[in-house]
Amino acid sequence: MKTKLSFIAIKKVFLLQLKNITKTYLSGTSEFDALKDVSLKISEGEFISITGPSGSGKSTLMHIIGLLDNPTSGEVILQGKDIARLNESELAVFRNKILGFVFQQFNLLSKTSSLENVMLPLLYSDIPSEKRKNLALEMLAKVNLSGKLKNLPSQLSGGEQQRVAIARALINNPKIILADEPTGNLDSKTGREVMDLLHKSNKEEKRTIILVTHDPDLANEAERILVIKDGKITERQNA
Amino acid sequence: MLKPTITELLKTSLRSILKNKGRTALTSLGIIIGVTSVILLTSIGNGLKNYIAQQFESLGSNLIYVLPGKVFNESGGFGMNAAQGLLSTSFSQKDIQNLKKNLDTVNVVIGNVELAGKAKYRNKKEDVTIVATGYEYGKVSNTIPKEGKGVWFSKEDEAKKANVGVLGADSAEKLFGNENPLGKTVIINSKNIKIIGVAEKKGGGLGAGHLDETIYVPLEVGFSFAGNRNIQSILLQTKNKEEIDLIKKQTEKIMLKNFEEDEFSVADQSQILSSINSILGTLTIALSGIAAISLIVGGIGIMNIMIATVTERTREIGLRKAVGATPRAILLQFLFEAVILSCLGGLIGVLLGGAITQAINQFFPAKVTFISVFLAFGVSFAVGIIFGVTPARRASKLSPIEALRYE
Repeated sequence: MKTKLSFIAIKKVFLLQLKNITKTYLSGTSEFDALKDVSLKISEGEFISITGPSGSGKSTLMHIIGLLDNPTSGEVILQGKDIARLNESELAVFRNKILGFVFQQFNLLSKTSSLENVMLPLLYSDIPSEKRKNLALEMLAKVNLSGKLKNLPSQLSGGEQQRVAIARALINNPKIILADEPTGNLDSKTGREVMDLLHKSNKEEKRTIILVTHDPDLANEAERILVIKDGKITERQNA
Repeated sequence: MLKPTITELLKTSLRSILKNKGRTALTSLGIIIGVTSVILLTSIGNGLKNYIAQQFESLGSNLIYVLPGKVFNESGGFGMNAAQGLLSTSFSQKDIQNLKKNLDTVNVVIGNVELAGKAKYRNKKEDVTIVATGYEYGKVSNTIPKEGKGVWFSKEDEAKKANVGVLGADSAEKLFGNENPLGKTVIINSKNIKIIGVAEKKGGGLGAGHLDETIYVPLEVGFSFAGNRNIQSILLQTKNKEEIDLIKKQTEKIMLKNFEEDEFSVADQSQILSSINSILGTLTIALSGIAAISLIVGGIGIMNIMIATVTERTREIGLRKAVGATPRAILLQFLFEAVILSCLGGLIGVLLGGAITQAINQFFPAKVTFISVFLAFGVSFAVGIIFGVTPARRASKLSPIEALRYE
């Protein structure tokens, strides 16, 4: 895809930019703004947490950043491209290459082994099929699950399932990991392991991590903390 | 190159089908039953056609029949007033003499009378068809007894009005068992007939089965059974195939001198055969058509299951979209699942139909035709596409966020 932006010198290109995002939901006849005029700039390698009470718009914001949902108004610019101009298939390519998702519910395919779950995003990528298995093995080694390649999700603990999900999110070497309450279904020890993996990926691979959580302690582990309340965003820098 | 490739998508679809073996089997069942019945019915129809063609060949070659009534209409089918003609018209010795005199290139002209009768030997009683005919009939119709099985009646037997007969193979077995029938006397409708031969077996147990449950007697003996001198049909044999049409025309002309046009028919084997074939063909198509309805029902079954599958796997679809599946990839994955289900059903149906055909073939003529296999498979493929598209489109249009939220 060609962009006209490429020959305009811009001093700092943000990885992701949200400009005046508003998301309005219709419930019956009344309108409800989940996000109100939210603007945000995210650079490569940042660790950001989005926090706030439930129903504050955290998930809506994360879905818009993850290109899973469209804003009612405003612009989303990812790697210099205006998302509104892309069709479903082009969005799919972005989700595949630039983004990696970690969900609270893990969302692994049942009756499918760890290895195959991790390989799933590769099915939709350009990576040649003969390289896929090795790549998945590498990712599973990274999350310390080399011994559980053939296990089905039902044969894994919650922490192990989430680690498989992280391996799946990492496999296409995405720029951004979006983690939506990744420790929400885990006890504190396994939750810690998951958080450590996210930190490691941020530090060692300079990956941008966007963590959505309602837990203030976890939110405080990030460099930037975005607090959403009633659809409005306030930011504070962590010391 | 569009990602993922068709092969990769096929593998994905196959994998999810194999994860639900029980459901797969039940979903394919409709198609399996449909395809099996289509294959079976066409195989039986086809086998029957071949069988009848064989039977006709075994009757002898280059034969022309003069039959009472307008049995055949212009287009080759059986006429409506056939029964009427059968009852009202009969031929006489004079007609045979006429034909013999005026047709110089035929081998034989034979008058025939067929009657139902009872054959009695000691305490055994069997139904037989009495075929009263000429001494040449044995040779013309390949019915002459084999070595050691006696002889066909001769010209002299016929002239003497001898009470001799040749038993059909089945009748001989039923009446005599292991005993040698040659030289024995059988009582046919209270008349003593000396058995001088046992005819070669014509085979089969269908339609033409009475060919083996017969007794062949000289025409004059038949007249005495019937109590009149009416001839029911006249059989002619031409010297070769090329003359059949010419002789038919000449025969018609000669017969028209003494009969009205609608009182008799002149037909050759191919004409009779093609009439039977056209009836069988229509029957086969009609029955297969009814069987094909079950294919449609099977297709609807597949659509039902696929719609349920799409709903059940909403989260999976959402996840696939979140990790980069395009709408095309989702559409094809679910479409392929439907097509694999229907083709799998088709394949099993073809194998099952083939196996049952083989089993039936032991006692009933049946033969699988290539075209029926091709058609049954093609139809199941089409059923998969037609009934798979709606659920697959539904899946591809799911919004990823709605799908992920689905509980």
